[in-house]
Amino acid sequence: MNRLYNSLEPRVMDDDMLKLAVGEQGPQEEAGLLARQEGILFKDVLSLQLDFQNILRIDNLWQFENLRKLQLDNNVIERIEGLEKLTHLVWLDLSFNNIEAIEGLDTLVNLEDLSLFNNRISKIDSLDALVKLQIIYLRQFKNLRALSLSGNPIAEAEDYNMFILAYLPDLVYLDSRHIDDHMKGLAELKHQFSIDELKHRENLIQARLEDEQARREELEEHKAAFVEHLNGPFLFDSMYAEDVEGNKLACLHGAGELLEAYKDKFVVICVNIFEYGLKQQEKRKVELDTFNECVQEAIQENQGQGKRRIAEFEEKHLLSLSAIRDESELSNLEKKIVECSKDISELFNTLMTLEMQLVEQLEETINMFERNIIDLVGLFIENVQSLMAQCRDLENHHHEKLLEIAISALEKMVKGELEEDLPDEVRALFVDKDTVVNAVGSSHDIHLLKIDNREDELVTRVNSWCTHLVDKIHKDEIMRNRRRVKEINQYIDHMQNELDNLECSDIID
Amino acid sequence: MEVLKEEEEGKEAAKQEAAAEPAAEPTAEPSEEGEMMQPQEVGRRGTIMTQEMLRDLEKKLLGIEITVPEKPSIITKDTIDISKLPCSYQSNTPEEEHLLEVADNFSRQYSHLCPDRVPLFLYPLNECEVPKFVSTTIRPTLMPYPELYNWDGCAQFVSDFLSMEPLPDPLKPALWEKEEAPPKKYAVRPPRDLTSRFEQEQERKRQEKIKAEEERRQREEEERLQEVDSTGTDPLHGLRVHSWVLVLSGKREVPESFFIDPFTARSYSPQDEHFLGIESLWNHKNYWINMQDCWNCCKDLIFDLGDPVKWEYLLLGTDKPRLSLVDEEDDTLSEDYDIENLGKEDEDKCFDMPHSWVEQLEISPEVFETRCPNGKKVIQYKKAKLEKWAPYLNSNGLVCCLSTYKDPECTKILEVKEWYQNREDMLELRHINKDTGLIVDYFKPGHPQALRVHSYTSMQPEMDRVMEFYKTVRVDGLIRREETPKTMTEYYERRPDFLSYRHVNFGPRVKKITMNSTESNPRTVLKITERFFRNPAKPADEDVAERVFLIMEERIQLRYHCRENHITASKREFLRRTEVDSKGNKIIMTPDMCSSFEVEPSEHTKKLLYQYETMMQLKKEEKLCRHQAWESELEVLEILKLREEEEEAHTLTISIYDTKRNEKSKEYREARERVMHEEHLQQVEAQLDYLAPFLAQLPPGEKLTRWQAVHVKEECLSDFKQRLIDKANLIQARFEKETQELQKKQQWYQENQVTLTAEDEDLYLSYCSQAMFRIRILEQRLNRHKEMAPLKYMALEEKLCKDPRLAELLKSFV
Repeated sequence: MNRLYNSLEPRVMDDDMLKLAVGEQGPQEEAGLLARQEGILFKDVLSLQLDFQNILRIDNLWQFENLRKLQLDNNVIERIEGLEKLTHLVWLDLSFNNIEAIEGLDTLVNLEDLSLFNNRISKIDSLDALVKLQIIYLRQFKNLRALSLSGNPIAEAEDYNMFILAYLPDLVYLDSRHIDDHMKGLAELKHQFSIDELKHRENLIQARLEDEQARREELEEHKAAFVEHLNGPFLFDSMYAEDVEGNKLACLHGAGELLEAYKDKFVVICVNIFEYGLKQQEKRKVELDTFNECVQEAIQENQGQGKRRIAEFEEKHLLSLSAIRDESELSNLEKKIVECSKDISELFNTLMTLEMQLVEQLEETINMFERNIIDLVGLFIENVQSLMAQCRDLENHHHEKLLEIAISALEKMVKGELEEDLPDEVRALFVDKDTVVNAVGSSHDIHLLKIDNREDELVTRVNSWCTHLVDKIHKDEIMRNRRRVKEINQYIDHMQNELDNLECSDIID
Repeated sequence: MEVLKEEEEGKEAAKQEAAAEPAAEPTAEPSEEGEMMQPQEVGRRGTIMTQEMLRDLEKKLLGIEITVPEKPSIITKDTIDISKLPCSYQSNTPEEEHLLEVADNFSRQYSHLCPDRVPLFLYPLNECEVPKFVSTTIRPTLMPYPELYNWDGCAQFVSDFLSMEPLPDPLKPALWEKEEAPPKKYAVRPPRDLTSRFEQEQERKRQEKIKAEEERRQREEEERLQEVDSTGTDPLHGLRVHSWVLVLSGKREVPESFFIDPFTARSYSPQDEHFLGIESLWNHKNYWINMQDCWNCCKDLIFDLGDPVKWEYLLLGTDKPRLSLVDEEDDTLSEDYDIENLGKEDEDKCFDMPHSWVEQLEISPEVFETRCPNGKKVIQYKKAKLEKWAPYLNSNGLVCCLSTYKDPECTKILEVKEWYQNREDMLELRHINKDTGLIVDYFKPGHPQALRVHSYTSMQPEMDRVMEFYKTVRVDGLIRREETPKTMTEYYERRPDFLSYRHVNFGPRVKKITMNSTESNPRTVLKITERFFRNPAKPADEDVAERVFLIMEERIQLRYHCRENHITASKREFLRRTEVDSKGNKIIMTPDMCSSFEVEPSEHTKKLLYQYETMMQLKKEEKLCRHQAWESELEVLEILKLREEEEEAHTLTISIYDTKRNEKSKEYREARERVMHEEHLQQVEAQLDYLAPFLAQLPPGEKLTRWQAVHVKEECLSDFKQRLIDKANLIQARFEKETQELQKKQQWYQENQVTLTAEDEDLYLSYCSQAMFRIRILEQRLNRHKEMAPLKYMALEEKLCKDPRLAELLKSFV
């Protein structure tokens, strides 16, 4: 111990050090021999002890993915770092180091026991908030049950115990001592106000997150139905968002009312599309579910048969294997071996036949599903298009009306009868007939474009979804088939190998 | 085949001894020739007749008695002590005489009008040879047992309570009075009724078996069928009469009329073909003759007793049992009735049925529990025998035993089923198959070893046996253990280690020259197979489904669970043969010691270290398994021992509420009674009359004079004083005597001290201490007596002054 403390050079955690530690702490005796023969992979290590090594910086631990327990006490570590990959860590001992802040533990969600005894945490006095933050930071570890913090400046703070107990109510051991319920109750009372506030804040954040999550989910759902943002005036608003002329013209006498009426009608159609879209989505889902169910059933049934065959075979096979082992006469032996391998190939044939059957069955079903889903999507597109056409009609109608209003306004203006005060930029449009018509026309064009875009987007997306879905189903089926064939081959090979090995050893005998 | 004669009901058994002639039975509803009594109300509403009376099922049931002919029944007469019967049994009241006359008249008219029909069964002789009208033998009674409130429970009780005796002549009861032309249309029930269901079932089962078997069997079957046929054709078919109970629909929610056969307690629909017809009906109020044609059995009969065309009544009742009348018809019919009424009135003058001559029926709880006469009943079926006992009658708790036989003569037992009750070991049913020797015991929950079923051929260990357990009771989750001489298979459920099955193959016992022969010598274990349920917490590749320890070959086979969407499962086989390699080095692990097949080969399982660790683990578990197998064997031995002990002791449990049988509560009750009694005695003592001896000296009946009162008081006081003094003297005398004796002894001791043995000295010392103790006590008593005597004297004086007999006189005197 003294040797380590006295050695001047702080050390770095390098491969050698880790290997040495792993080797020393790995399996002992016979198993140790084996381990040394083969070497131990860092990722298989569950527990690692690196105390009294004069380590300055935590490093190189990323390979220990499955580590459960890590002891780094009695070193000269100054910061908690480099532990991000050790997500399975349950027990972390960092006592007798020079750590100044509790940090770098965010990913260690399974942490149950954290020891920071004798460090330098929060030596800055009077930074009350900071101290608190340190503790509050620990609230995120839901599994934390044991904490050791004494020997730190923070522990000298008056009220240290109470504070921790209040803020970490799930703790069972603090500084290696069992926490009794009475103390816990006292602490809770004492800090009730701040805890409540904290909890309130946490709850608010949680609620906001949930809200957002819910909204996002809803939008996802709409997107899945390809009708997002159609359950309101979003499309209509977007039509006017970039339409400068349209907005200008809206202030003309009569145009405002016209616009209102137009919007109402338009929104109604949008909502229709939206609702129809959701309904169709539901239909597609039901279709898909029924299909999946049927496929799963067929697969399960087939697997059941396969398992049964294999079980039957194995029963028989075991008997014949032991018969072969016991057989002494060479001619009989050969006969039995031949029989046995015949059994194996027979099993292979049976299993492959089963699989081929299934493939055929599934192919048929998949094709049927494909036809149905394409029909469904086609119907959906058709209906959406007709609804969109209604939108366009509305737009055309609106355009005509607006044109009329604009022209009459122009006439009035030419005659100087226009009473209203129009903004100058609007007035600028009414220079001559062409300008007015152009302005109205360009507004109309923008609107049509928007509608077309939305329609195109919907159609493209629904089509690509459909293609993807069908592709995926085909691909999955192919993968499944390959896996099964591979599985069968592997099994048969194994069986055959086993038999061959037996043969060899027998012949040697 | 015989008309059965029932003996009696519970009551009579209790009271009048079980014998008794049927006719004499109280409240009997004897019916002749398939008549039914109408105690309908049993359990529900009484239809006809007085519903109120009928309500009480029990009465009827109890009353059901067959009016078996008196003559043949003489056999049983001697069992009844006629002299103890009340006089209503031995003579007829004037009303009854009148009724008998009416009945006689009725009967004569009837035989005149219907010469073809069987004579009526109207007034059979009772046990005292006195003719009694059948209706008066019925006494509706309400019994305090809820079981008897419904017809089925009540009928069951009656059927248990009746025992049958064949008549010398099956036709006799019908012919008891005047011989007439043999009847043609009787309702007779072939005896088949008593046996047929079971028989049929047996027959059917047998047929099914036989069909599957060979021709030889078939031939036998044919023979058997012939037998059945021959018994089936009954030469007396339609000639026998029988009594049974008819429950009429209408009241008490009885939806439709039905028959109850008192011997089997079964109900039959009137449509049943076994009932060929009805001659007459009666209840405790009236008697009706069936005027309808019974060509189609009882199927077409209309049970509207208010219709005089269909049912000819004996007495013109006050209540009109026309319950089944449809409303519209009501008017017309009642008119008819009125007319009839008028016509008959002068004849009968509304003569009411006299009150029953039968004593009040009572069934004590003991008799009720005992049910059958003497608590035992044997019912003989074809090829089967059913025996019933009252609970606690048999010391081993046997309450029911059904033996089935291979042959109609009942000589070769096929199987025996025994039902037990109140057994402390919770044994409920034992099923013995005499052919295979297989015995199956069924237990109720609560056996100390959680045993549910135990089937065995011999109580010797290591034989074929199956034990099943109540699964929620056992901590180890064992539900079933099967044994054969060479194997033991155990099935588990709900274990934390997911074990579901363990199969152990035993080899022969190794003969060791054992030093410690007390240790049991377990058989060698050849192979252990264990299976596990899927543990959802583990991936399928690491979750063992089956492991086989081939102990002799040092081979361990593992089979893992199947992954989802896979049909093959990983397997691994460990073999540890050579411990030493060619150079003599110890081999720890070589790749060929473990052959594995993996569905999804993974890297870490290929490592020798992993395999080594797994193998070590398995070795450990193998030891554990062997130990468990050994423990299982021990447990079997233990259970067998326990069972033998239980069987030996066959203790019965007694409810603590059963104050008659439960010793503890009996003791407790007796103790309480004793305490009460003592308290009572003390009270009496406290009230001793001091004056009595002195007053007795004075002439009786005279009033005391003052002088006499004073005299009496003084006498009493002086007497008491004398007693106190006597007592003091007595104590003093004893005290002195003890002291003297002690002194003597001490003297003796001092003289002989030298020669005394240690024993004598001990004796002396103990005597001394006891004597001292006695002396001290006597001294204390003396002192206390001296203290108390004046107080007692004063108390008596005061008491005498206050005595009501003296107070007046003394007061004035003072």
